[in-house]
Amino acid sequence: MRQDPNHDEENAERADLSRRLFLRNAGTVAAGSVLAQGLLGACASERASAAAAPAAPAKPDGAPEELAGEFEIVLDVNGEARKVKVEPRTTLLAALRERMEPAMTGTKHVCDRGNCGACTVHVDGKPAYACLLLAADLRGRKIKTIEGLGAPESLSPLQENFCAHDASMCGFCTPGFVMSITACLEKQPNADLATIQKACSGNVCRCGTYPHVFAAALATAKQAKKG
Amino acid sequence: MSTNEPTGAPLAPNQDPKAQEKPRKTRKIKTTKDVNGVPQEIEIEVEDVDGPRWGERKDLKVLNTELRRVDGPVKVTGRARYTHDVRLPGMVYARLLCCPYPSAEVTIDVQDALKLPGVEAAIVLETKTRFLGQPIAVVAGRTSDHADDALRALKVTYKPLPWAVDRAQALAEGAPNVRKNGNKGKPGQNGDRAEAEAAIAAAPAKLEATYSVPVQHHASLETHGVVIDYRGGEEATVYISTQWTFAAVGQVAELLGLKANQVTAIVEHMGGGFGSKFDLGSEGAVACRVAKELKKPVHLMLRRPDEFVMAGNRSGNRVTYKAGMNADGTLAGLVANAEKFGGLGDGSMARPPYVYSAGKTYSEVVAVYTNTDSNRAMRAPGHPQASFGMEAVLDELAYQLGLDLLEVRKANLKDKVWHRQLERVAKEIGWFEHPHRTKPGPNSGGKELGIGFGISTWGGGGSGGTECDVQLAKDGSVTVSVGTQDLGTGSRTLVTAIVAEEFGLQLGDVVARIGNSRLPSATGSGGSTTTGSLSPAVKDAAWNARNAFAEHLAPILKTEAALVRFAGGKVFSQANPNAAMTWKQACATLRDAGLNAHGKWDKDRAAALMGNGVHGAQAAKVEVDTLTGRVRVLEMVGIQDCGLPINRTAVRSQLNGGMVQSLSYALFEERVIDPVLGLALNANFEDYKLAGPSEIPKMTSIIDDDDQRSATIGMAEPAIVPGHSAIANAVHNACGARVRDLPLTPDKVLAALGRIA
Repeated sequence: MRQDPNHDEENAERADLSRRLFLRNAGTVAAGSVLAQGLLGACASERASAAAAPAAPAKPDGAPEELAGEFEIVLDVNGEARKVKVEPRTTLLAALRERMEPAMTGTKHVCDRGNCGACTVHVDGKPAYACLLLAADLRGRKIKTIEGLGAPESLSPLQENFCAHDASMCGFCTPGFVMSITACLEKQPNADLATIQKACSGNVCRCGTYPHVFAAALATAKQAKKG
Repeated sequence: MSTNEPTGAPLAPNQDPKAQEKPRKTRKIKTTKDVNGVPQEIEIEVEDVDGPRWGERKDLKVLNTELRRVDGPVKVTGRARYTHDVRLPGMVYARLLCCPYPSAEVTIDVQDALKLPGVEAAIVLETKTRFLGQPIAVVAGRTSDHADDALRALKVTYKPLPWAVDRAQALAEGAPNVRKNGNKGKPGQNGDRAEAEAAIAAAPAKLEATYSVPVQHHASLETHGVVIDYRGGEEATVYISTQWTFAAVGQVAELLGLKANQVTAIVEHMGGGFGSKFDLGSEGAVACRVAKELKKPVHLMLRRPDEFVMAGNRSGNRVTYKAGMNADGTLAGLVANAEKFGGLGDGSMARPPYVYSAGKTYSEVVAVYTNTDSNRAMRAPGHPQASFGMEAVLDELAYQLGLDLLEVRKANLKDKVWHRQLERVAKEIGWFEHPHRTKPGPNSGGKELGIGFGISTWGGGGSGGTECDVQLAKDGSVTVSVGTQDLGTGSRTLVTAIVAEEFGLQLGDVVARIGNSRLPSATGSGGSTTTGSLSPAVKDAAWNARNAFAEHLAPILKTEAALVRFAGGKVFSQANPNAAMTWKQACATLRDAGLNAHGKWDKDRAAALMGNGVHGAQAAKVEVDTLTGRVRVLEMVGIQDCGLPINRTAVRSQLNGGMVQSLSYALFEERVIDPVLGLALNANFEDYKLAGPSEIPKMTSIIDDDDQRSATIGMAEPAIVPGHSAIANAVHNACGARVRDLPLTPDKVLAALGRIA
């Protein structure tokens, strides 16, 4: 069973396509309402934190915020306030890749329906599929993308080990794996193989680099133990 | 570059190093050497070579070592730019509408779509279709959301026409003609049927059974597609996810009304191809059309569901084998009747018997056409399909006679390289301690362990058409330039490594420029021929650069060019190793323009550098839950020869990758189309299951270092050939469940158990 990082385990609730389509077409971002809690809970990485987070501004009377057409929002991406014009239906993935100037294309678009993990980012420190999140919902949330982890000349320990263990071949799935496993190791620096496999079980790699990915993750965990 | 799939018998591997060797010639050079400050006349023997050689393995410092992929850092940080990631000012996003029916008459009204905000184009492409997923319209918008709006606003009416999407429909009486001449191709026949049938009849063990494999998808994570940068005028650039940088240039030029020298193709990085990405494709042609009309850059990458239906596949097949085995385990005879299912294409199937000697043989292979997209080359086209039934037949007959599965394989393999490889994987996976070596384990109701084997072969080799430049700059920087592409196979690292080795430098001292049609030409990456085509050309350029640099340095080092040595980042005369210059000092003596050398794949010189023909063997250990039918692969072991490994890490990655893909083929993958509704039922990654992290067993990949050929050989293909066969055999070995139809889903395992219970 593939683990979907947009759901917490205890209360797995399916955020299926129809839900996202509903949101896309509804043209409304509802915050602070019962509806919003349900939707956010379904879409965000962990329901508890999602519902409690200061999400989109609600009207003073607590009524859902009406959003339509194209509007500018500010997203906290890798610690920077990034202005971006979106529509209610714009996913975080599309906002990053198509709408930001300059575009942030490190987060990959592969299936666009939460099946493959290539678009994994961190929202408030937890892994989430950017293709299943609406950009407008993420105002006030801390978003981290692959660009925010390390640069080629200053790799994170996990990225360094990905290089050392040849954990990327074509590399298209790699940013997603790096994000998933980084989140896992932040929580559990000494993670074992089973934990790592579970942490990235929502990611797929067609080239078949998995054994190398595991080796890179385990080497990072081992170094953390020593350090 | 041909993308035609081989359908003949596998090439005979040749692992004999002598086949490639040329006699070693030496000559003596008189020179002076300082001994305690006193110059003395000495003679030094140097190798007198007529062209580049890889040299002795023990002397190699970069090649045949564990190298880091040079583009690793940009890939792990998301900095690698793929076609999908290209962003240009004023660019529009295009989307295709693919016909959801296998065959239909279509009318499309684009007017409403064109009125929507942000929509820039809506064009009808086809009004009558002949395969499920055929593109019928293209739209373009300011963002992909706007393009999606346009797709939804298209008013489309479909009038479905009679179709055939599976074997039963294609071969039914009164079936619609999929191709002009009907639904069957011309059969390819080999051998004498009567002779083979007689040999089988006389054998003590006999079998007749049908084995089938489904249509599989390449499922590259980066879909097919292009960005056409054309804004009117006389220049265009095509960014393309392709296995051949140069293939699209002429096609794009023609479609845009330009000359080939006005078009540049760029493939900086590409997200997998596996055989499916060789030319511009219909999607690329459509993008050119939109770009020409809008005079704006067009981004057209297939959406995942479209990729599944229109971007090619590995053909399925169905083979009925009749076979007989002698008491000593040798095959007496084999008759194979094979059908290939490659949609509108001819499918692929290596001619039976696959690799093994099978006594008297006869085979008949025929294509059955359906209204689905044409198959394309996919990693070792035809070989996994042929391997599946062949390996199963061996096991089934061996069990009848109570013979050891490993011994039966060896009894039917003339080439001893496979013997030692099989022994090695058998040892690694614990075969010799395994309790079920001559008969399957029990259908116990509990969990049972089984082991299975498979072998592989491939040609590899290389061909002309690749050229390369090596430039040494005055500041010591080194650049190697060749237009080849890196599919994730590591070709960028390969070209870097060869040049670094030549000059005694490290990988990081050399920069590779690849993936651009303005660079020296290169062949496409198909059939594991990249290594054999690319490495001799790069070596040639590096060798020429080295000779030119040695000539330049000889007077400076007061020696002869033949005695100039490059090692450990230093340059010196073999006569006076202590009087060395650093690499930077040596380069500083160059003229301002530095030193440029060119090389190419030359038939004679390449013959001493590249080889052809590889062997591989794999073993799988599985656990079958005989209560639920669930199969878990616990371990896979693969061994592969490849001549001289350029990068041992890359070889192991290929081998592991091939085994993972074959595991996925064995257990999960299958294109499903509803024959009644004609709809694709699993054109997404939710329903088309790929092996994921949770399904990965313990994996051991072994480079067969007993292969001492001083020749480079590509080995992407053979790694994927036998894994699924080994897994299916292991399931049978565990509990007696012989599933003759992939994938090995729990229902089929239970049904097979039901037949023996």
